Amino acid sequence: MTDDERKDETPSLEERTKKTGRLVGNRYLRIHHQSDFRRSGDHYVAGEEALREESRLGRGYQALRRVLFGPRLESDADATERLSVVTGLAILGSDNISSSAYATEEAMRVLAFAGVGAFVFLTPIAVAIVGVLAIVVLSQSQVIAAYPNGGGSYVVASDNLGTLPGLVAASALLVDYVLTVATSTAAGVAAISSFLPVFYEQRVVIGIGFIVILMIGNLRGIREAGIVFAGPTYVYVLSIGALIVYGIFRVVSGDLPPPATPPAPFPPEGLEALSVLLVLRAFASGAVGLTGSEAIANGVPSMAKPEQRNATVTLVIMAVLFGTIFLGLTFLAQAIGTVPDQSEKETLNSLITRSLVGVGPFYYVVQIFTAVILALAANTGFTGFPRLASVLANDRFMPRQFAYRGDRLAFSFGIVALALVSVVVLAAFNGSVTNLIPLYTIGVFLAFTLAQTGLIRRWRRLRTRGWQWRAVINGIGAVVTAVVLVVVVIAKFGEGAWMTLLILPILVWLLLSIHKHYMQVQDALVLDRLDDPVPAVRPPVVIVPIGRLDRAAAQAVAFARSISPTVKAVHITTSEESAKEFRERWDHWSGRVPLDVIESPYRSLVPPLLRYIDSIGKRDDRPVTVVLASFVPHTWWEWLLHSQTSIRLKASLLFRPNTIVIDVPYHFRDEAGDHTHRPSR
Amino acid sequence: MQAKRILVALAGSSVDPDVIRIAIDIAKPAKAEIVAIHVIEVRWNLPLDAVLDPELERGEALLAGASKIAKQAGATIQTELLQARDAAAAIVDTATERVCDLILLGMPYRKRLGRVYVGRTVQNVYVNAPCAVLAYRQEESK
Repeated sequence: MTDDERKDETPSLEERTKKTGRLVGNRYLRIHHQSDFRRSGDHYVAGEEALREESRLGRGYQALRRVLFGPRLESDADATERLSVVTGLAILGSDNISSSAYATEEAMRVLAFAGVGAFVFLTPIAVAIVGVLAIVVLSQSQVIAAYPNGGGSYVVASDNLGTLPGLVAASALLVDYVLTVATSTAAGVAAISSFLPVFYEQRVVIGIGFIVILMIGNLRGIREAGIVFAGPTYVYVLSIGALIVYGIFRVVSGDLPPPATPPAPFPPEGLEALSVLLVLRAFASGAVGLTGSEAIANGVPSMAKPEQRNATVTLVIMAVLFGTIFLGLTFLAQAIGTVPDQSEKETLNSLITRSLVGVGPFYYVVQIFTAVILALAANTGFTGFPRLASVLANDRFMPRQFAYRGDRLAFSFGIVALALVSVVVLAAFNGSVTNLIPLYTIGVFLAFTLAQTGLIRRWRRLRTRGWQWRAVINGIGAVVTAVVLVVVVIAKFGEGAWMTLLILPILVWLLLSIHKHYMQVQDALVLDRLDDPVPAVRPPVVIVPIGRLDRAAAQAVAFARSISPTVKAVHITTSEESAKEFRERWDHWSGRVPLDVIESPYRSLVPPLLRYIDSIGKRDDRPVTVVLASFVPHTWWEWLLHSQTSIRLKASLLFRPNTIVIDVPYHFRDEAGDHTHRPSR
Repeated sequence: MQAKRILVALAGSSVDPDVIRIAIDIAKPAKAEIVAIHVIEVRWNLPLDAVLDPELERGEALLAGASKIAKQAGATIQTELLQARDAAAAIVDTATERVCDLILLGMPYRKRLGRVYVGRTVQNVYVNAPCAVLAYRQEESK
């Protein structure tokens, strides 16, 4: 092969060298390729080496990332990055299970407006909520069976009812996930400040700290997050279970303890009359406990194989645990006669525990793990939001970045975005659970109703075996969740539900606008036919702005000449003398490229250059190519010593139509050879 | 004898991981270099430089596996993929070119006609190698 042939050869990652052995005829071929890439069939796979950072700063950043988030995972590790029933319950079910810690209190706080006597309605309300949960769980198991690829209510609604209902469900769930994180964190901090009141004033800061920890935990990958967060979930279930058993034993044995007194108890006489609306409001507040029950159906692909079976088992265990704890705490609250704290400084859970076991080690175990599971319930949001956002991004309703999976196979962009929005919401509502709750339940019940309705249409359309009873289950589910939705909207509208109702259409509009943009871009970019000939393009008009006639400029001019015969150099100067001097040097230089020198008496460099490019562009229909010589200093601080006009020029040309900008970097260390100071002539 | 450069020929059999570990054990005290190679034998009806995608992929995978074993053992190895008509000749020529003082080969435990079978490549390397040759035979499978 001649040198010229070698020059024209297309560069390849693989180099094949023929070698001759010791004996005649012993020829062999050495195949050498970059160790960063390995062959896989007809393509290459970039190995971990290809991701290695060259700079010291980059390596330091990578090391920090490894410590925080763990080593990179290959895409093939996806199958191992799944949740078992044990970890799935902790990650996907913690929201629902943890709701049992505050659902009773939220219902009681509403009933308390009608006086302590109104608490007789507490048990019927709790039973009704558990009944609704049973219907929801049955319906969700249908969703799992019908849509094993996850996506939950959004996929069900868009598949069966159309795009708009699907987006309404998606928006409702996105809002709900943000509120899950904000509310759960606020509830976790409230539980801490119950036994450590000193933290009450710092509740927003502590809440933000919790969110950051959860964000990092989730960026480490779903499996690791599951392993880390599973322990506290089970300790909570066991400790609260033991408390309920102990409490029931004391009630049955007639050894009822006196109720612990909260810092600011609700007065025995109510401020409002007991009305149907008040009971409905109490029901709506308690129904907050049903949130999180959709997370498992949304995250079926996160479960280990067999996904559907594991998801259904997890769903049932979650519902049983929630129902048992919720009913147990409601029973104990009524039996003991506990009155919630008006000032929100001590939780009902803390009061019940204090009444039964006093302030001892067990009290602290229950309170600490209640606080932890309440904060961990936010994990459900961290699992659900990024996955739903990725489904929406794949359908082009959300920015593409949401579909990107990071080093640990987690949807990093969605996790970080959720953390940021949740922090804003938490701070905006001053970390108050009671202020956040009214916004909370609407989204999930709207999504439930749409999903159930969608499933009815699906069964009617497919008419598979047993479709009638499936349709009946989903029909009941749709009616019940729709009723709860209406009740929540009416009861909580003035307390803040209006905000959710306002945000939902805005979000739907936003998703539709994003989709419209992506469709327009696709129409503009997509190749209609693959056999269409590639258009022949004439060599462009090349403009090379020259600040100084130096090596960097010479390199840029040489490159410009290699891509087109029509090259023009332009130099902007601030005085007539320097214009003459530059012209003189240019004429002596061997570059042989026509030069225009522009004097700028106002000392401005970039605007005259842009006008010059404009006027050249107007006179020629060929695309204008601007070749920029950019000097790249060796270290970051050396950047500060150079004006870097090329960067400003690049930024100005970025959105100019019909303009190609080419950067020809001149690396100080690579090109200059020895760095000894040479005086300029 | 203290080897300074060891050539390990990997055939893609179950004995390969053991051979790499033995090479590391020998190399570590002597601070010797290890060159692991895999030779793709090209049939005579194909040109020597034929692109044999499945074989290339397999070869690269097994060399990557060898590097991984070495990395786990705290050693680094050089790897090379070759294509030749006869594996033994390519192994010997590479050992000569790289001035290796030891060639390490692995033999899976195989029997033919009731006798332990030593393959053609091992035999030819034994006969033609300019340096020391160490062949490791796998334990008899129970």
